[in-house]
Amino acid sequence: MEMLYHQYKRRVFGMAHRIVGTSDAEEVAQEVFVRVFRGLATFRGDSALSTWIYRLTVNAALSHLARRGRRHEVGDDGLTELPAPPITERDSALAARIEAALAQLPPGYRAILVLHDVEGLSHEECATILECRIGTCKSQLHKARARMRELLGPSIAAHAMNTSGSPE
Amino acid sequence: MTTCETIQPRLTAYLDGDLDDERGSVVRGHLRECAACRQLAREEAALRDGLRVLPPVDPPPSLWAGVAARLAAAEVADARKPRWRRTVARLARWAPWPPTMPQYAAGAVLAAAAVVMLYWRTQRADEQLAAGPAVVVPVKRMPEPPPPRPLPSEAIDPAAVAPAGDDVTADLRAEPARTTASYDQVIEELMKLASEARPAWGDDQKAAFDTKLVALRSGIARAAPGRTQQRAQRALIRYLQNAVVRDDVVLASRGAR
Repeated sequence: MEMLYHQYKRRVFGMAHRIVGTSDAEEVAQEVFVRVFRGLATFRGDSALSTWIYRLTVNAALSHLARRGRRHEVGDDGLTELPAPPITERDSALAARIEAALAQLPPGYRAILVLHDVEGLSHEECATILECRIGTCKSQLHKARARMRELLGPSIAAHAMNTSGSPE
Repeated sequence: MTTCETIQPRLTAYLDGDLDDERGSVVRGHLRECAACRQLAREEAALRDGLRVLPPVDPPPSLWAGVAARLAAAEVADARKPRWRRTVARLARWAPWPPTMPQYAAGAVLAAAAVVMLYWRTQRADEQLAAGPAVVVPVKRMPEPPPPRPLPSEAIDPAAVAPAGDDVTADLRAEPARTTASYDQVIEELMKLASEARPAWGDDQKAAFDTKLVALRSGIARAAPGRTQQRAQRALIRYLQNAVVRDDVVLASRGAR
């Protein structure tokens, strides 16, 4: 049981952190692991274990956001108050801005960006986890990135200019 | 003719390598000529790359302790639940429908009920069909015990309602003996039918019949004359009827009749 925990703790906590924010990430991650351990005996192997765990994580995170939304009557704008996580990478400025913009996205967009772009899952895996069609998944990703570009504004444009010369 | 409006929705798929060669070539050709779309593509690529290299977030050390505490609390809560709720929860975990779709649960329950009802009715129809030969095959007509006559109420004086000149009281006194004699006659006829059917029986069946017959006859012999004895006689009649009918059914189902 602990081996499974150590294998998935970073990804589960990371996904929860980026979908629900810093303050509630631990609570959501705990809930996910409890569901994993209590449901492991009945896991039917319809999908990969990792896909099943990520699905539990996304469902728990989105349910948590829905509950929190009902409780505090706040919209997505309320998420802007969440503090950015600690940054250790070289390009910490852009990373911090991306994390802040991510926190302002609607939960559905946040989930697809975290799964596909942050965690690097395929569209097939994302569709399985989000229980939607692959086409829907691709369309949501496109809209989510467009919204992120809007939120990041000139900062992402400047970064793009400073990096590669061609998107090809 | 490709325009920015037709290209921009495909940029995400193009950057992720999800477009086939032909469509990818069309997007690439447009990007070579259109500075605005090229800038858009650069920004999206930078965003995608920025998301990909976001640093992992380490969980706090308290996470495992919290998980362990919740697991323990859940076990305690489970233990406090009544047995039927634990059984229902266990069954629900194995339910064929996903628990995330409760709107289908009611439909599934109704469908299951319909299937059970259909199965039950089909089974009954099969059973009736299987029992059919006993009904459709002409079975030997067997004498039935005489229907019990209504006993006169003690409050009514038979002599008062009986036609004058008839000894109704004496007739009523003789009634139990007549019923017993009638039952004896029925038993005798049934025994003849049983002895005709006997050669077709197996040894076990014969032995069981004889044993039961001895027991029922001794019951009649031990019973006090009157209603008790008649009750014992009716028990023997029912047994003989069943034995002979069963034999007919067996033979009919084998096509022997």
